[in-house]
Amino acid sequence: MAKDFLPIGSIPDFLDALATFGEVHGPLLTDDGVQVFGRIASPADLRLDYRRTLLPPKKYLLPPRETVLTYAPDSGYRPPPLPDRDIILLALHPCDLAGIAYLDMAFTSTEPDPWYRARRRRLTLIGLSCEPDEFCFCAEVGAATPGNFDLFLERTPAGFHIRTGSRRGEKILARLARLLGESEPALSSPQRCNIESAILVAVRRGETFPYSPLWDEFASRCLSCGACSLCCPTCYCFDVREYGLLDGESAERIREWDNCLFMAHGETAGGFNFRKNRRERFLYRYRHKYLGFGPTRGTLSCVGCGRCREVCPVRIDLLELFKEER
Amino acid sequence: MRKPIIAIAGLTACSGCQLTLLNCEAELPELAERFDLAYFPLGITEGAVTGPFDAAFVEGAVSTPDDLEILIKLRSRSRHLVAFGTCALWGGVAAMNNHESRNALLETVYGEGGSEMKSFNPQPFRHFIKVDFAITGCPPEKPEILAALAALLRGTFPVFPRYPVCTECRSRENRCLLIEDNEICLGPLIQAGCNARCPAVGIICEGCRGPVDEANVAAELELFLEKGFTREEIGRRMRRFCPEWDYEQRS
Ligand code: SF4
Ligand code: SF4
Ligand code: SF4
Repeated sequence: MAKDFLPIGSIPDFLDALATFGEVHGPLLTDDGVQVFGRIASPADLRLDYRRTLLPPKKYLLPPRETVLTYAPDSGYRPPPLPDRDIILLALHPCDLAGIAYLDMAFTSTEPDPWYRARRRRLTLIGLSCEPDEFCFCAEVGAATPGNFDLFLERTPAGFHIRTGSRRGEKILARLARLLGESEPALSSPQRCNIESAILVAVRRGETFPYSPLWDEFASRCLSCGACSLCCPTCYCFDVREYGLLDGESAERIREWDNCLFMAHGETAGGFNFRKNRRERFLYRYRHKYLGFGPTRGTLSCVGCGRCREVCPVRIDLLELFKEER
Repeated sequence: MRKPIIAIAGLTACSGCQLTLLNCEAELPELAERFDLAYFPLGITEGAVTGPFDAAFVEGAVSTPDDLEILIKLRSRSRHLVAFGTCALWGGVAAMNNHESRNALLETVYGEGGSEMKSFNPQPFRHFIKVDFAITGCPPEKPEILAALAALLRGTFPVFPRYPVCTECRSRENRCLLIEDNEICLGPLIQAGCNARCPAVGIICEGCRGPVDEANVAAELELFLEKGFTREEIGRRMRRFCPEWDYEQRS
């Protein structure tokens, strides 16, 4: 018998205990009915039965827009102070945990990004098991097994089995001890992907579907609204721009989320564009999501969260490519 | 640093763009110090179009011979001519009924004899002159106006992102009125920069900032038709700030 069970009625105490480690954030519903990650001010805010948030948790690590440098004539270019807020991010599904693992690789493995790293160090990840719906497919991309968490909550009707995944998680669990009860070891081990899914097979082959009519079809419908990558937990492209201030001397350099379906994504000085039309941009999106390139070659970055399929106003779905293949 | 000499003027319009500039109250002292405001009929009583100007910010559509004369005068005396606001860039609200008979419109507004007035269909600047830069919006957003002026101090113009309102709307995690509520939101077609001002308060984007580059007009049209809107209603909505959509355009 392990002492790892959090009864559902103890959630308010659980939140109080977490608050001693940092600001508690988790899934909530906005006034106009959008599921988002946000500050959990009271237990009533928390929506543990959420399906998926509109923006993924990457917004905590790479905000949609941030100042990365400021320029002043006497001090030159200076980075802003590093973020110093401790945040406990609660109830992340396995796909979102996998998304953060991918971002960790992209932003911290070779040349660490100072802002990402600072935020990541202060972010505690608490996972939550989930039920798939008609949009998501984590099992098919091998992201169903939870990883990259400090704590993970496996849901049962009466409460949650808690597992630890890091030293930090152990420390938090120790603080929670008085809330925990004994129980049988976790009943359902998370669903594992044993099927040879069409996606994994195609990806291993480096499939690019060069003759698929779907590319033209996608290109003709896409509105370039940006939703698919803004909402993708692993899309990390950003644009960097600098704006002068009115004193004529100082300036501010920002970075902002970009999207490979935007015309400016492949544009260089002088107006040359590496990917002139939407068809080429879709091929690029596919390659990055499923095949990877440069240091990420061979790394599937789609974690199957289903956001891009749900948020596209014209219902474009890259998975149709794999269905054709079958 | 030599102060840039600028002109701020308006053609057929509501003066809202110029007022937005005047409403940058916190920055006005700095602006007065950094720029030589040589011509600004709305803010400074005296003064004729003299020039030469480093830049002229001109608001409004061109709809009378006088408009055209002022515009050409400003163009020929300015190093940079900036289309200031949606009317200057796209025609704007004054142009929404350009497809109807000019005489009938004139008579509706001015009564009998209205058609004697010397006016023509309101049009954007690019039909007549070369435009160097544009600040879109009805009215434009203060930060974009200030960014343009700040860049001018450095002899250049700023780069504004060229994505649609949806991008800002999604980044703010607004409820999507098009997908969730099947409303006729023009966000996917419209140049961002307002931080999705309207959808953020639950109102569809009316398109006041005009078309975004490479707007997929045909796909959005199909989507609206699929959702049950009539061609007439779609056209009426889309013409409100820009009369010249190419409904076949996909990129
Ligand atoms: S590509 Fe789509 S399904 Fe895959 S991780 Fe990104 S948003 Fe989720
Ligand atoms: S509400 Fe309008 S602007 Fe916002 S995402 Fe939906 S379509 Fe785009
Ligand atoms: S949301 Fe649309 S109508 Fe509203 S300010 Fe922005 S561009 Fe104009």
